[in-house]
Amino acid sequence: MGSVLTKTLVEQRRALLWWAFGLIAACVLTTAFYPSIRENAASFERLLESLPEGLRKAFGEDVASPAGYLEARLFSIFAPVLLLIYAIGAGSRAIAGEEERMTLDLLLSTPVPRRQVLLDKALAMILATTGLGAVLALAIAVTGPPFDVSVSVANIAAAAANCVLLALAFGALALLVGAGTGRRSLAIGVAAGVAAGSYLIDVIALSVGGLTWLQRLSPFYYYRAPGAIVHGLDPVDAIVLGAITVVAVAIAFGAFEHRDLAP
Amino acid sequence: MSTSAPALAVEELTKSYGRARGVVDLTFSVERGEVFGYLGPNGAGKTTTIRTLLDFIRPTSGTATVLGLDSRRDATEIHRHVGYLPGEFGLYERLTALEHLRYLEALRGGRHETAIRQLAERLDLPLDRRIASLSHGNRQKVGLIQAFAHRPDILILDEPTQGLDPLVQQTFYRLLAEVRQRGGTVFLSSHVLPEVEHVCDRVGIIRDGRLVTVEDIDDLKSKSLKMVEIRLAEPAPASAFERVAGVRDVVAFGDRVRITMAGPIDPLVKALAQHEVVELQSRESSLEEIFLTFYGAGEASGG
Repeated sequence: MGSVLTKTLVEQRRALLWWAFGLIAACVLTTAFYPSIRENAASFERLLESLPEGLRKAFGEDVASPAGYLEARLFSIFAPVLLLIYAIGAGSRAIAGEEERMTLDLLLSTPVPRRQVLLDKALAMILATTGLGAVLALAIAVTGPPFDVSVSVANIAAAAANCVLLALAFGALALLVGAGTGRRSLAIGVAAGVAAGSYLIDVIALSVGGLTWLQRLSPFYYYRAPGAIVHGLDPVDAIVLGAITVVAVAIAFGAFEHRDLAP
Repeated sequence: MSTSAPALAVEELTKSYGRARGVVDLTFSVERGEVFGYLGPNGAGKTTTIRTLLDFIRPTSGTATVLGLDSRRDATEIHRHVGYLPGEFGLYERLTALEHLRYLEALRGGRHETAIRQLAERLDLPLDRRIASLSHGNRQKVGLIQAFAHRPDILILDEPTQGLDPLVQQTFYRLLAEVRQRGGTVFLSSHVLPEVEHVCDRVGIIRDGRLVTVEDIDDLKSKSLKMVEIRLAEPAPASAFERVAGVRDVVAFGDRVRITMAGPIDPLVKALAQHEVVELQSRESSLEEIFLTFYGAGEASGG
C-alpha cells in the first residue's frame, strides 16, 4: 500500500470479488437458458413484435441467434447497469467518500498533491471497472460454448469493453461531482439520474422520429448502436464514450484543485 | 525555503464564509524552536487558521507561510516539513492501526516503522487492532503517531489532548519536550488555559476570528485570575474589600461576597480575618473570564 492507487484497490479487493462472483452468476444464468429460448424462438419473436418499436430496438433484434440473444438478455441493459453501479460507486467515493468520512485531511497533509490523489483515485476506478469487464467477457467466453452460445471472443471482448466505456463515463461524472462538491450522495444522485435520463432519451428517440439531435446527447446512443456483440466495437462510438470520461476527469482536476475542503 | 524565515507566519489573513464566522485580519508569526499555543474558545477560528496553513482552505485575502513557503503555491513542500494532527478526523476503519500508519508514512516516501512502533509502545496503542474497534482515545493516539513519526521540523496540532487520559497526556507532553530539544517548532491550539500554560513559550489568543493578543506565557500567567466566593456570618459591604491588594471586582449580596482577584490570595485572607467566615471557595478563572476582564466583551467581539 505504497500509493493512493494501490491502497484504494487493495481496500476494494473483497468488494470486487463479490462483484466478480455476481457477474459470473449472471452470465451463467443467461447462457444456461439459451437452449430453451432458442427452441421457443418463434413465440419470442412474436412477443417482441408486440413491443413498441423503440423498446424492440433497445432490446435488440434477432434474439434467436447467440449474439442477438446475448445482446437482448445481457448487454442491452443488465450488464451495463451492473458495471455502471460499480463505477458510480467508485467515482463517488473517490474524493467525496474520503471527505465525508473526514479522512481527506490526513491524506492531503502528506506531500501527495491533490491532483495526484485525484489521478490515483480515477485510475483505481478505471482499473477496477476494466477488471470487472474482463471478468464479464471471460465468464461469457467460458460458460457460453457448453450451451451453444458461440460468439467470437473478439466480439465478446468488444461488447464488454463497450460496457466498461459506458460505465466509466458515468463513473467519471460521479467522480467530478464528488470532487467538486465533496458530497457523495449528490455525486451518486447526479450520475445515476443522468444515466437513467439519457437511457430514457435514447429509448424514446428510437420510437419517436425527429429526436435524433437529442439522442446524440445520450451516452447510451453511442453504447447501443450498432450492437458491439453483433458487429464489434465502433471506433467512433468508443472514442465518444472514452472522451466523456477524459473530459469529466479533466474538469474534476480543476474543480478539486481550487476549492476549500470540508473539515 | 528560506533559512531565515519564521517557522510559520500569517499576514493580514482573512477568511470569510458568507455569514459564518471565519478569521479577520490575522497577523502573527512563530519563530523556529518555539512552542506556540493558539488559544481561544471553540469556534473562534483556530481550525480555520490551521487549515489555511496546510492549504485545505484558501484565504479570502492575506497570506500564510510555513518556513517562508507560500501556503498556496508550495503546499506540497510545506507538507514535507509538517506533522499535522487535525482537531477532528476520520480514519480508514478497515485497516489495522499499523497498516494505517504504514500507509500514511509510505505516502511521505519514508519507512518509519521503528518510530511508529516506539511511539505506539510509549502511548500504549495496540497496533494490530482494527481502527473500527479502537476507542476515541486510541484513535487520537493514531493521529498523534502519524504526526510525530517522521520527525517533522514543524508540528501543527489542533486540540491534541482531546480524548487522551491524563497518563497519556503526560507522555504527549514529554514528546513535545523532545521536539523542543531537537530544535523543532510546535504550533498547538487549545481552548483550555492550563494546558497551554503547561507547555508553551508564547501564546496567541484568538476570539471571534480576531487575534486578541500575543504574549509570553509568564505575562499571561500573571493575568490569571482567581474567583473567590465567601459566605460571612454577618453581611459586609463590597467596599470592605475593594481596596485590598489584587482585588479587581467585588460583588456583595446579603451574606455572600464574590471577589475576582489577581496575584497572591494572602491580602484577601488578612482582610477577611476581621469578619466571621462561614465558607470560602476559590477557583481559577476560566479563559472566558480572563477575556472579559482584560479585553472586554465589546472590544474583542465583532468578528
